[in-house]
Amino acid sequence: MLRYILRRVLFWIPSVLLILLGVYALAFYGAGDPIKLIFMRAPGDVAYDPARIEAIREQAGLNAPFIEQFGRYIWNLLHGNWGNSLVNGRPVWRTISAAAPVSMQLGLTAIIITALIGVPLGVIAALRQNSGADYAILGSALFLWSIPPYVAGPLLMVLLILVVPASGVPYGWGGVFDLRIILPLIVLSMQPIALIVRQTRTAVIEVLSEDFIRTARAKGVPELVVAMKHVMRPVLTPVVTQLGLIMITLINGAIFVELVFGLPGLGRLTVQSTLDNDYPVILAITLIGATLVMLSNLLVDLVYPLLDPRAGQMKGGR
Amino acid sequence: MSYPLTATPATAIEADETVSLWSDAWARLTANKLAVIGLVIIALLIVVAIVGPWITPYDFLDQDLAARNQTPSFAHWLGTDDLGRDLLSRVIYGARTALFVSIVVTTLAVSIGVTLGALAGYLGGPIDAFVMWMTDMAMSVPNLLLVVVINTSLKPPLAAWMDAKYLETMNPFYRNTVWIDFILVFGSMSLIMWPPYARLVRAQVLSIRSRNYVTAARALGLPTRSILMRYIVPNALGPVIVAVSAGLGTAMVLESAFSFLGVGVRPPLPSWGNMISDGLRVWRTYPHLLAAPAAVLGIATIAFSFLGDGLNDALNPKGRK
Repeated sequence: MLRYILRRVLFWIPSVLLILLGVYALAFYGAGDPIKLIFMRAPGDVAYDPARIEAIREQAGLNAPFIEQFGRYIWNLLHGNWGNSLVNGRPVWRTISAAAPVSMQLGLTAIIITALIGVPLGVIAALRQNSGADYAILGSALFLWSIPPYVAGPLLMVLLILVVPASGVPYGWGGVFDLRIILPLIVLSMQPIALIVRQTRTAVIEVLSEDFIRTARAKGVPELVVAMKHVMRPVLTPVVTQLGLIMITLINGAIFVELVFGLPGLGRLTVQSTLDNDYPVILAITLIGATLVMLSNLLVDLVYPLLDPRAGQMKGGR
Repeated sequence: MSYPLTATPATAIEADETVSLWSDAWARLTANKLAVIGLVIIALLIVVAIVGPWITPYDFLDQDLAARNQTPSFAHWLGTDDLGRDLLSRVIYGARTALFVSIVVTTLAVSIGVTLGALAGYLGGPIDAFVMWMTDMAMSVPNLLLVVVINTSLKPPLAAWMDAKYLETMNPFYRNTVWIDFILVFGSMSLIMWPPYARLVRAQVLSIRSRNYVTAARALGLPTRSILMRYIVPNALGPVIVAVSAGLGTAMVLESAFSFLGVGVRPPLPSWGNMISDGLRVWRTYPHLLAAPAAVLGIATIAFSFLGDGLNDALNPKGRK
């Protein structure tokens, strides 16, 4: 098991390095000189003195060849130094650690909501296959899945605040137990819920036709017990395998939700730092995003054999 | 291309009649109400986008500063925005942008995906491993993030290059920066959209590769290229068609997402995404500026979803539950 984890992580390192290299190259060749970017942003009375810029460049090691600079960046990263923001000069680490908790609380709550609502709905749809309830659940799942968060958010705001004055303006962050979090959470969970409902339904239908379910029913096991005991465990497998996709959906969704509802999380930081060409921050966010997706995929592979003993432990397949 | 179906469809079709895959699929598709609704909406959207310039009541750039921020009225069916531009005209032009981008991007992504997927599946070995590694990587990064970064950082050098070219040649083509936006949007969107197609085609090719007619073609000494083009790719396209219809919807969503974030097609060219983000600034006083483009975009993406779902059921009879 340990060897397997190690192999996965070792396989992941070159991918992440390549992605970081790509972003670093974009920053190096695309955005131009970071020192110039800083000077351009500085208030008007700071003289644009080429000699001074050259001195700063030399001192910051920006005249070194690309590969050396990238190597130094990675080296610093390994030592816990994420660099400083080009915009405000603060250490990137501090900016990130201020924004990350917001997004993490938002994301975790959304995952819990997704599981609590999505799985039961999917099971109900499968148990009542091809009934009105099934079509209603499936149809709404398809509906929810197709509405992007930057459409759902604004429309819900217009509907719930202007048309039916049911809520105040949910702008800003007050923690997960603040009422303002409800609307952002609804918008963020919509697409993952739809995903889970469809996955669960397909999985339950597949499991219901298996021999061990027929045996249990033939033995006279009550339907509820069959559903709870024999169906739930194998069903969780395909649902859990979607964790990677859910993670990507959540990360993408958080960008819009945080923008629309003014939450000071990583999503808003992403957009802000890209518009500012603040590459140290962009690189850090890219690294975090890629790590999150990798970790959820790894988690899937580790949990998979526990849920479905038939799957070979070392296969790691899906 | 007609071969017997492997699974008998549940819908009653005369058993002794030979039914081609396509007419059978069409019958199944039109039996699905949601798919028909989706199809009708998309057809409407395409018509509106094509005849757009002739049916819009105003030009999308016409500013009527005496009639700013108007609520819907008879003269302006959807009202006007903060510069007095007719919102309906802008929404219609937005449909042109959305469809244009999604068709070009899907074509690009499918061509890249089908080529690489077919090569990987047919040749196997290191090429297969490399292509699969690339798809793995592309699918395990938060894709939106990557595209936003690519778009913002490639724009300044491209713009500088266009400027230099203009000074050199004085060709007015180089002054039109709209092309930069389009090129960047096309490129970066295809970059994140090709991997699923490659995987799909690769899986198809792997199963087709071992069929007898491919072995026969190989025994006849046909070059790899013509085996791929004449025997393998045409037979692998079925599921790709389903994926294309879903891809058009995805591309449309991505396009609006980028313009919403301010990295896609830029104003004054109307895109539903940038209209939503403009409307978001004034939504409490002029909600119609936000609601109209958002509702239209929502309806369009739902239509693509419904159609894609219906196509999936119609073309993959085995996968139906």
